[in-house]
Amino acid sequence: MNPRALRYLDWVLVVSTLCLIIGGAVILYSATRTFSHPWAFIRIRAVHALAGTLLLVVFAAVDYRTLARAWRPLLVITLLLLAGVDVLGRTAQGAQRWIPLGPFSFQPSELAKLLLIVTLATHLDGHREITSWRQIVPLLAHAGIPIFLIVQQPDLGTAMVVAAIFTAMLFAAGAPLRAMAGLGAAAAAAAPLLWQMLHDYQRKRLIVFIDPGIDPQGAGYALIQSKIAVGSGQLFGKGLLQGTQNLLHFIPEQHTDFIFTVVGEELGFLGAIVMLTLFALWLWRAGTIATQAKDRLGMLMSVGVVTMIAFHLFVNVGMTVGLMPITGIPLPFISHGGSALVVMLAACGLLINVGIRRKKILF
Amino acid sequence: MDYIPPTRRLRVLNAIIAVLIGVLVVRLWQIQVLQGARYLQQSEENRVRDYTITAPRGVIYDRRGRPLVSSRPSFTVAVLPLELRRKEEVLANLSAILDLPVEEILSRIAANRERPFEPVRVRRDVGPRVVTMIEENRLDLPGVIILAEPVRHYLYRSLAAHALGYVTEINEAELAARRDQGYKSGDLIGKAGVERAYESVLRGVDGRLRMEVDALGRPLREIARVPAIPGRSIVLTLDLDLQRAASEGLRASGQKSGAVVAIDPRTGGILVMESMPGYDPNLFATGISAGDWQRLTTDRLRPMLSRAISASFEPGSVFKIVTATAALEEGMVTRSSTFYAPGYFRLGAWVFRDLRAWGTVSFIQGIQHSINVVFYTLGYRLGGETLAAQAKRMGLGQLTGIELSGEVAGTIPSPSTKQALVGEAWYPGDSVNMSIGQGAVTVTPLQVARMMASIANNGTLLRPHLLRHIIERDHTRTPVGPAVQREGLYRAQTLAVLQEGLLAAAERGTGRASAVRGLTIAGKTGSAENPRGKPHAWFAGYAPVEAPRVVVVAFVEHGFRGGLSAAPIVRRVLEAAFPPPPQPSPEASP
Repeated sequence: MNPRALRYLDWVLVVSTLCLIIGGAVILYSATRTFSHPWAFIRIRAVHALAGTLLLVVFAAVDYRTLARAWRPLLVITLLLLAGVDVLGRTAQGAQRWIPLGPFSFQPSELAKLLLIVTLATHLDGHREITSWRQIVPLLAHAGIPIFLIVQQPDLGTAMVVAAIFTAMLFAAGAPLRAMAGLGAAAAAAAPLLWQMLHDYQRKRLIVFIDPGIDPQGAGYALIQSKIAVGSGQLFGKGLLQGTQNLLHFIPEQHTDFIFTVVGEELGFLGAIVMLTLFALWLWRAGTIATQAKDRLGMLMSVGVVTMIAFHLFVNVGMTVGLMPITGIPLPFISHGGSALVVMLAACGLLINVGIRRKKILF
Repeated sequence: MDYIPPTRRLRVLNAIIAVLIGVLVVRLWQIQVLQGARYLQQSEENRVRDYTITAPRGVIYDRRGRPLVSSRPSFTVAVLPLELRRKEEVLANLSAILDLPVEEILSRIAANRERPFEPVRVRRDVGPRVVTMIEENRLDLPGVIILAEPVRHYLYRSLAAHALGYVTEINEAELAARRDQGYKSGDLIGKAGVERAYESVLRGVDGRLRMEVDALGRPLREIARVPAIPGRSIVLTLDLDLQRAASEGLRASGQKSGAVVAIDPRTGGILVMESMPGYDPNLFATGISAGDWQRLTTDRLRPMLSRAISASFEPGSVFKIVTATAALEEGMVTRSSTFYAPGYFRLGAWVFRDLRAWGTVSFIQGIQHSINVVFYTLGYRLGGETLAAQAKRMGLGQLTGIELSGEVAGTIPSPSTKQALVGEAWYPGDSVNMSIGQGAVTVTPLQVARMMASIANNGTLLRPHLLRHIIERDHTRTPVGPAVQREGLYRAQTLAVLQEGLLAAAERGTGRASAVRGLTIAGKTGSAENPRGKPHAWFAGYAPVEAPRVVVVAFVEHGFRGGLSAAPIVRRVLEAAFPPPPQPSPEASP
């Protein structure tokens, strides 16, 4: 990497990422310290962060245009990985999402998000204008087939993330608004079909989102308890390591999908604002990179990454406070889970990649 | 490259993200700052669980301080309705462990609907096997808890069951009436006997234990504790040895039903109250099974019925004591009056029979041999109204006022009440019949015992009672004095003749079978014809004659002859009351 690259490095982005990972590790410790091996989670987190940083450097160093040229094999790999989950997949909580990989296991749908950002950006970049169905149908297939495979796992949350990424990139690529409205209408029409595809527990989650009181000890339990946890933090929180909802395990999955409840309960509204501010800084810088990208490809990749992080943030925090239905998608940089952290860091690498190769005219 | 960034569209995307973050901030403000206090309270309620520490009931002792009823530790399986996650699955598991239908558990939970925070007791007094199985399967049984609770223990099972009574879980009507006294669903309450009469004494005050629990309801740490205050213990007037002798005597009679009552004529304290057949109050303490309940309530002999106080029977010749007393009080006879007893008594066209012809007899002999013709003559001359008044003065046909519930009064007919109740005139023959305790006269064994006590103590009618004293929490005793109901019932001459006659009857007459070596006994047998079968057998006596300390009444339903089946029971009780002085053993003497 040449010195100019360092000069163009967005330090705010790097520092806010660092803060989120370190702060997240503290929260993760609080969430897991009553488990039988409390430090194991932190050690694993450190390993993942290191692996993620390595991948970040790789994704930042190799010119994204070089990466884009390999989009066809990348897409094939993505589809194979996703299809492979159904064959090789390890089941966790009724869903097949993991592929065993030696001592580790790895979640292909996480990696698929990043690879799809690269391939979709390249595919979209190939069209100056997206006007005819001849262009739109292959694009829809490009996004739709992976989404279908992810729904099959079933991993509704990740499928929604990919759909959101695709929509935002399509919009940024300049798709006509009429075409986008048509797609939206088609998606709405397909909703009943999707409902049929859902598992019972997923339908229950959607029903209790509307009315958590229906089943307070069953499906509504997580929602009620997580609201109690976040709400009881009040303005200043109960203090780090002092959350009773956390400590006494009232929250299921308190170290993964529901880790924000620990932030809300122990650090209060102010702690949550600090966390949201870090994310806002991150998203602001990432948005700037998208705006300043020197070409359409870089811009589309950046939009994909920004959308991914923003969507994760909103859906994850939103579900703990009853704004969104419960779906198993992690809080970026904070939730326990190696695949997600590694992929998020790699996505940072992609952003940095676009950022350091931006136009010089800004100086 | 002629690339122009789509600035407007990117601004739209950035604006959407900013709005979404703004929405999160507003929502967090709403639930953390505006509604935070409410959620904080909910998290506190989540985290702490209040448990009831059940206060043990007071111990019930016999007069010499031997426990009759105590509490022993036990384990109760209960469910916390609000914490029953995966209800069907958990209840199915629990049902398998307890071998209890799921519907039964559900109906118990439903009955407790109003107090969802209180544990619903599913089964009391489970064994160590069940406790171990539940503890081992803790994770599959969220909401199921084990409570350590004292359970009522009746040491001698059915012995004195009707006097002691039993406890059961409080029902809805009782709960509604007693909620302000601190009762709550699942509490035990005395339903009969002493348990019921002294409920407020025996019952303690439950304590509270506040624990921090985890999401599975597992207690982690004690936060606060209010200790339970045990109930006060009571000492009864009952004597375990005498009670046992009475129970054995009843069983030895070979009959199916009967009762024994013994009281101390100096105080009115009840020494024995036994009714046969009995029931085991322990069945109720742990929640009686439907089968056992069915068996108890459909038994033709009605084992739950106390024949000592809750049923009245024809007294037969025991009633002759009333006739004799009335005649003496009226001055109609003296000790030396003589009667001609040819074996029958003719009244117009009717002939009232006797066992045999006695010839000319004295009044004392009349009592001694229970000669019907003597009493026919007196009854005819006294008339029904006088007989009834005397019976009532002696406490027959009236509630005795014992602490226990369920007492019945019995009936003493009289010319005026017969007209009113049956709508028939009182015939002179009715007086003749009544004189020997036949006709519509019915009394309870306890009434007879009280009457005998009034003769033994020279004319004082005492309220029979079971409570000797209460042991207060500071170990002081609250004694219960004799309760005098009526004094100076008889004239001195009357008493002298009665006591002589009863002594003669017990020593040489009809009551010989009651004799105990070295003890002077006075008493009267009875053999009461009744429409339901063989005559009832009675014996009512007291001892020692010189300074009476024990009155015993034995009643054997369809026992045929008082001298045959009732008197031996009295003998057994008196033997227990007056054990022979210990003989110096041959080895001990030099």
